[in-house]
Amino acid sequence: MKILLCTNGSPYTARALDLGARVARRAASSVDVLVVAERDREKEARQMAEATAADLEATGVPVALHQRTGRMGEEVVRQAQATPYDLVVIGSRGRRGVVRLLLGSVALHVTGHAPASVLVIKGRARDLKRFLIGSSAGPVSEHTIQFASRLARALRASVTLLHVMSQLPLAEDAVPDDLGASAEELIQRGSREGVHLSRMLDLLAAEEVVARAVVRHGLVLNEIIAEAREGRYDLLVTGAHVTPGLDARLVDDLSADILLAANRPVLMVRPECVN
Amino acid sequence: MHRLHRAFFAQMETDPRGEQQMGSQQGKWPKWKKPGLALSGFLLFILALGLMKEGAGGLAPLLRGRLEITNTADSMGFGWLMAYLILSGSPVAAAAVALLSADALSPLHAFTMITGSRLGASFIVLLVGFIYALRGHERWTALTAGVLSLLLTGSIQLLTLPMGLLILSRGWLNRLSLPALEKLAAGVNRGLEPLIGPLAAFLPGWVLFVVGVGLVTLSFRLFDQALPQVHLEKTNFGQVPRLVYRPEVMFLMGLVITLATMSVSISVGILVPLSARGYMRRENIIPYILGANISTLADTLVAAALLGDPRATTVVVTHMACAAIVSLPLVLLAYRPYERAVSDTLAWITSRHRNFALFLGVIFVVPVVLILL
Repeated sequence: MKILLCTNGSPYTARALDLGARVARRAASSVDVLVVAERDREKEARQMAEATAADLEATGVPVALHQRTGRMGEEVVRQAQATPYDLVVIGSRGRRGVVRLLLGSVALHVTGHAPASVLVIKGRARDLKRFLIGSSAGPVSEHTIQFASRLARALRASVTLLHVMSQLPLAEDAVPDDLGASAEELIQRGSREGVHLSRMLDLLAAEEVVARAVVRHGLVLNEIIAEAREGRYDLLVTGAHVTPGLDARLVDDLSADILLAANRPVLMVRPECVN
Repeated sequence: MHRLHRAFFAQMETDPRGEQQMGSQQGKWPKWKKPGLALSGFLLFILALGLMKEGAGGLAPLLRGRLEITNTADSMGFGWLMAYLILSGSPVAAAAVALLSADALSPLHAFTMITGSRLGASFIVLLVGFIYALRGHERWTALTAGVLSLLLTGSIQLLTLPMGLLILSRGWLNRLSLPALEKLAAGVNRGLEPLIGPLAAFLPGWVLFVVGVGLVTLSFRLFDQALPQVHLEKTNFGQVPRLVYRPEVMFLMGLVITLATMSVSISVGILVPLSARGYMRRENIIPYILGANISTLADTLVAAALLGDPRATTVVVTHMACAAIVSLPLVLLAYRPYERAVSDTLAWITSRHRNFALFLGVIFVVPVVLILL
């Protein structure tokens, strides 16, 4: 797995470098560390990058340093476009509300434009041992789970597969039983969601990852965030919003909503990045 | 209310037998069937409005005297209970503008009666739900869409009500006038005179009014049957049951489809065949119903225009404008907290039979209390 770690010298990128290096030590075949020279933090950024590179080289991971000048989000995307990476690791300032509206979000820009899966480090995460994967019971989530399972195996992390049923019954002949069922019940009944969860658990088992499935009922975004909080997961995994054509304007970008609402690291997997 | 009932329960599109029946009927009744039904419905609608307007004058003493509809709370409770009684909101809203046109109600009273009619419009769904709950039947959870619809309508109307009353009492939209429609209405009324005049000569006003309400209800049924079948399966909305669409997209979709069908129930019913299991994501249905709640008064607006009374048009436009003023910022600026609040309330109501029964009790008691105020 080729990984890109990024820093601009800010404390939030220092956390990202630290956790990114931990991931790289176990999962990377090679690492690029990108220094983005923004304002007056170039020196700090270089020092951080060199320290991380030295640390990784000491564990036998090949490392290359790169430097770009400009805005963090744009330069990370340019680097990711110039070199094919499996994973880009960035930090998040955690801007909220009006400030985010006015200044934008580096993480959103990178996840929206980089042609790679992106691990956004936010919150107080120290290690990535418990993954929560949001599964939408569609083909995209299969790619997400394949990618996440590789990472989970490398990090020896356990995985919880979460499917949220936000549906309401509208027709008389709708069977409401599935709308209140647990993961085990859905799997036992062989419902559409149950079949999907069962297949995904098999995929994870094939990668020798300890996994279980959970189904929650309610609004998708709220339930994912609630499960992450209640289960004290270290990492939230979701598929990136890559809906083509007009659908991209019609369908909600739930992965961006999750990224903004979560207070812990988020891995956004791009389907085309699965090898 | 049969219209909403139809949307949630009687899905001909999902029933192969229903399709066969429709197909065979279409064979017998060629191309002109639907236009014929639409024209019959429209003529019946015009006649019903004429009868209601003619009969409404005779109802004024009954409303103000025996029923004591003297304040805006009374008229709201009256509209609410009327919608319960005839199991539909649209005929009650049409009756409100007819009563206004005949000076049996003031614009403020008509406004709150329309509000009441919207709130009473989910009754049948809840009634069936209550029966299921009493039987301890698991299927009662299948009726959560009815509760959701009422929660959405209630939350919007709660904000719309003071705004509308303020606008109407200050007369900010009083100059609203549609001369072309008023001329058309005058012509229609002249045309109806030979038909309604003799009836009015020997039938009491309240009888004319009741017959009018019956005919307007029948006309809505004819409209429902005349609507062309809309198939969204092959459009970009084919994944509505599964994917989460942007709230503003679903809001606009609900507004436009309801404007075309003039019924929330029909427009919701159009979504149902998209899901083989009859499920719909609540993230999609919430903004959809919010949009639909604005344009659902389109038929009342047509009624007001046909009555040729600018006051009636003003009341309906005020209602629609207030619903839009409340809903738009909600969808664009505060959608997530609103969606969460509605979803949490829905979860609480449907989590236990006792909560559901309590909710039903409240929606029964409130309109009665309003009338007693």
